[in-house]
Amino acid sequence: MAVGSAGQAIQASTPSRKPRREMSDTRFAFLIGLPVLVFLVLVVAYPLGYAIYMSLHQIVFFGGYRANFVGLKNFIDVWSDKSFINAIWITLRFTVTSVVLTMILGLCLASIMNQRIRMAGLVRTLLFLPWCVSSYAAGLMFGQLLRGQTGILTTISFAFGGTQGVDLMGRATVVEVLAVANAWLMSPLVAFFLLANMKTIPKRLYDLAAIDRLTRWETFRYVTLPPLQFTLFVFASITTVLSMKMFDMILIMTGGGPGTASATLTYQIYKRSFKDLNLGYGAAMSFYLLFFILGATFLIYLVWGRRVSR
Amino acid sequence: MAKRSIFLYLAIAVAIVWSIFPIYWFCRMAFLTPNEIRLFPQPFVPHVFELGTLYNIFGYDYEYAAGFVSGASGQSNQIIRGVFNGLFMSGIVTVITLFIVVPLAYVFARMEFRHKEKLLFAVLLAVALPPVSTLIPFYSMYVQLGLNGTRFGLIVVTLTITVPFVAWMLIGYFRNLPPIERLARIDGYSRTSCLLTLILPLAKSGIAVAAVIAFLFSWNEYTYALVLVNGTSANTLPTAISGFLGQYPEPGNLAASVIVTIIPPALFAYFLQRHVTEMSLVDPVR
Repeated sequence: MAVGSAGQAIQASTPSRKPRREMSDTRFAFLIGLPVLVFLVLVVAYPLGYAIYMSLHQIVFFGGYRANFVGLKNFIDVWSDKSFINAIWITLRFTVTSVVLTMILGLCLASIMNQRIRMAGLVRTLLFLPWCVSSYAAGLMFGQLLRGQTGILTTISFAFGGTQGVDLMGRATVVEVLAVANAWLMSPLVAFFLLANMKTIPKRLYDLAAIDRLTRWETFRYVTLPPLQFTLFVFASITTVLSMKMFDMILIMTGGGPGTASATLTYQIYKRSFKDLNLGYGAAMSFYLLFFILGATFLIYLVWGRRVSR
Repeated sequence: MAKRSIFLYLAIAVAIVWSIFPIYWFCRMAFLTPNEIRLFPQPFVPHVFELGTLYNIFGYDYEYAAGFVSGASGQSNQIIRGVFNGLFMSGIVTVITLFIVVPLAYVFARMEFRHKEKLLFAVLLAVALPPVSTLIPFYSMYVQLGLNGTRFGLIVVTLTITVPFVAWMLIGYFRNLPPIERLARIDGYSRTSCLLTLILPLAKSGIAVAAVIAFLFSWNEYTYALVLVNGTSANTLPTAISGFLGQYPEPGNLAASVIVTIIPPALFAYFLQRHVTEMSLVDPVR
């Protein structure tokens, strides 16, 4: 910022050397930004407005389409709904586990890729592969991998003389399994951005750390980690948003089951809207989800982002 | 030293197994014979290596060495169309996204202007909107506009996902670049030529990553595609694949088509990863 104001000061002090009149920063920014924002507003505002309309009505399909205005009833009813409270809890568990795992895995993968190794290009490509898998395919893969019927654990257990399948998709562990799959999917993205950041740390600092006889852990903690703070913060928010929005993987992998053991908010919204055809109720839930997402992002900013974003 | 490198190679091995084993376990099914797929527990590796299912999903019969013939999949038309539609639409989405987002992110990252916070919040809001809650409104809007089942319609919807998301990532990236354009501005460069001749070459690696991300989002988009274009001439590969999950599941063909979905992004990623190392050339002037 210091450089910026100095530059502007110089420009202001030498008006005669300007080759031609230029517009202000604000106008330039609006010229570039406005068309995009208009597009986004047009395309996003209508669905949003429509969703608000739905959330304030009770929409009935059977016996002719009717939309009765019910005010905030949907928003209030949600709180006496056990499945909604349950969904909040599951979403929280899923998101926290996913984000923590993703950040740790991302750091590990990035540290590995940052080493000088042979065939680094091949290793990087292999480690990047999970991000190429779409979330529905990841759902298929992890379902296949960990279900008792088809899973790797069953094969291993039989190879060692076991007689029973091993199923991790049961009630107790299903949310964690989903979170692991989600972390598997997202960590390469985080790792690549972290790697890009690690590459900008001056090598000189590592030489100094070696002179000071820091251990490997201390070097990582005091030399590598501090410059990564901002990227870590940005990606903690991004992965939080992505995890809370995650839907297709959950739908394909567990379908919210067994029972409602993995029915996150997105799944409940889908169920209410498309299976029960209770559109108003589903829309009200989806606004709570939107608030939770914004709230979580804001919370991360408050407790972490403010400190690291200069 | 030797101890350290053993530890390092062990870590690399673990990371590689972690990354590709789930993919292997699923895609291996494409090479299992129908009898092997029904086994319990499932075999670790296929016993014969034949590409029958890959022929099947593209609409050809295949005769296995064991003598039996596996017929062409009924889903093959959808798959072929899905590949072409997917490549076409993802390409367009990537190009448009970059055209929109690069100047936008540059402006947000490097300039101070009024209402900036509010506009940033609008971008965040667009990122935070869950697809599940905008599905019905989009659907009804598209029915009214006649955009249902058209490529144009799906491109527009996909842009609403890629533009805010990629913008968010690139804003952070541009902020970390050295502020050389201030100097160039003093030398009389206009803003546009600053962006075109200085920032773009400097930010090449970040833009490459952004391109891959936009491509992947578009190529893999499932929720909207399922509702808006499934079963029409504009269907994409993910929706075509979901056909194998329905009433007559064919795990072999399913696995084969998942392999097909991974190949284009993997190639893309292979070309991306060189650019990531080039970021080291950027000297952080703070």
